[in-house]
Amino acid sequence: MMNPTVMIVDDALFMRKIMRGILEENGYQVVAEAASGIETMRRLHDHAPDIIILDIILPDANGLDLLKSIFSVSPLSKVAICSSIGQEPIIQKALDLGAKAFILKPFTPEKIVTTLASLEG
Amino acid sequence: MYMSQYRDLFVSESRSHLEAFNGLIVRFENNSAPNIVHELFRHVHSLKGMAATMQFDRIAELAHKLEDLLSTIRDGGISSSQGLIDILLAGSDQLDSMITAIEKGDDIPLPGTDDLISRITGFSPDKHAVPEPENVAAQPGPPLRQYQFRQSDSFKTVRVRTETLDRMVNITGELITTHHRLADQLRNLPGAGLNEPLAQLSSQLRELRDEVFLARMLPFSVVAERLPRLVRDLSRSLGKEVALSINGGEIELDRGILEGITEPLMHILRNAVDHGMELPHMRTAAGKTRSGLITLSLARDKDHVTIVVSDDGRGMDPALLVAKAVDKGLISAGQATVMSPWEAFMLICNPGFSTADTVTGVSGRGVGMDAVKNAVRSLGGSLFIESGIGRGSSFHLKLPLTVSIIQALLVECEALTMAFPVNAVDRTLELTPSDIFEEAGQQCCTLDGNTLPLGNLHRILGQPLPASVRNHIPVIVCRIAGKAVGLIADSIVGQREIFVKPLDKPMSHLKHITGGAIMGNGSIVFIMDINTFSSLP
Repeated sequence: MMNPTVMIVDDALFMRKIMRGILEENGYQVVAEAASGIETMRRLHDHAPDIIILDIILPDANGLDLLKSIFSVSPLSKVAICSSIGQEPIIQKALDLGAKAFILKPFTPEKIVTTLASLEG
Repeated sequence: MYMSQYRDLFVSESRSHLEAFNGLIVRFENNSAPNIVHELFRHVHSLKGMAATMQFDRIAELAHKLEDLLSTIRDGGISSSQGLIDILLAGSDQLDSMITAIEKGDDIPLPGTDDLISRITGFSPDKHAVPEPENVAAQPGPPLRQYQFRQSDSFKTVRVRTETLDRMVNITGELITTHHRLADQLRNLPGAGLNEPLAQLSSQLRELRDEVFLARMLPFSVVAERLPRLVRDLSRSLGKEVALSINGGEIELDRGILEGITEPLMHILRNAVDHGMELPHMRTAAGKTRSGLITLSLARDKDHVTIVVSDDGRGMDPALLVAKAVDKGLISAGQATVMSPWEAFMLICNPGFSTADTVTGVSGRGVGMDAVKNAVRSLGGSLFIESGIGRGSSFHLKLPLTVSIIQALLVECEALTMAFPVNAVDRTLELTPSDIFEEAGQQCCTLDGNTLPLGNLHRILGQPLPASVRNHIPVIVCRIAGKAVGLIADSIVGQREIFVKPLDKPMSHLKHITGGAIMGNGSIVFIMDINTFSSLP
């Protein structure tokens, strides 16, 4: 079986690099990174990754508003929201909109690994 | 711990967020639009997330408090006020100093944040400022968030370390040198059938050079972001009202030029606020608006960029400048009588010439206008000043688009070959001995009806003077301290594109030499900086 493919969406290059480091160490294949909503949509057309890790506050979009557009292009992708905004209503809204998991920043490598493992299967 | 490898990235990305944050605060001061508040929020929010991930808890905490304050502003429709701006700026400064501490090494303790945090959490708009009546009346509801996709090219770009770019420029420069060597060698091998491929190589190298330089270009806005804050802070500390308007921030310049020009521009701006601008009551009395305006405009013209900094302040009086220069012994009374206003304004670039009657804490320190002029010149650019009494002053900086590769005039003097940047040379002359006469002990010739003082390059370079009388005497006409002078050489070899290499120690201490270049035959020529002379040697 192929390693699961992942796309990382975060406007901070720093966060993307850390996330990529953790994922690659744990056998995930990072196929794309995006720093904005428009970039996410463009890259999705090329990749349709198994998993999308999605930040909420982006320069040109709100990650939650982006969910619907993401699923319209890549319906099989599983989305894990990754944000430092941890209020219950926001988490609930994300899950209602189709996100499968919520990772609160700051995260530990273990948290990432267990969350993504729960998405598989 | 695996996080330490991300520290540099954290520092550099945090800095970009803070610079953008600072720029937005200044905009927020005059414009409380929800999108500005949202952008402020977004930058501090990103910073918080990054700091928390790095376990820099105090940065994360401070960023979090600022984020809370900004979301209160956004949701409560609170307008900008002096107290609020001060707190945001203090927060930004504190974050900056903490990031600097991290940059210097983990051992340095992070500066305390407690006082500031209590100021932020204790902030209430009523306590710090009374909102303008119309703002009270028109309390806006929670702003509608409108997210729109913007066109973005960011995924077409990659980040490249600046050292890599510098190395690419270096290699390109050496390729050009190798090409010249090859061409020189082939001149001895006529009929080898290599002319065509050599011409092709030459044009491809030119293309490569252009592309490499293009990769080093950055928009001026990269440095422009911090300038409004500089003008704002300074004018407030002097009790003045000054706005800064920047046009052409999208124009791109070589990274090296941008780096070299930032400090001089900041100095010109400091001068404009400190010396150029009048106090609000003086402006009103002179029939001007209370608030002064400084414009910084960039324009691209073929292979150079002009930057003009204009203020609408009090301007400079050329007669006063000249009188002061005579007083200080910088020029003679005779020189003073024939001085054009343009030359008079350039007097402020003389070392030790200060136009302010009192040296203020602002412009009386650090670089003076002489350093500004030298910085511009060493980048291969030029400076020109215009001014009108009561109308303000304009500083025109003309800069090349790139640094390292320049057109130079190769000049021989005894055993030495020197390179003079073409933009520093007005023209060349060939004199006969009868053209040269003496005036007050100074060798001179006539050029366009004026007397041109002559100096000897041999003397400058410590070479023996030519023993025999020559029938053709080559002269380079250039400017020393704003005045045209002629420098006598042995011969003028011709014009060449050269790749300038900076000199390392101990050569970097050589006065009047800005760099070196390797010629086609493998020899080294030094590049002369005529601008470092204050008088004709």
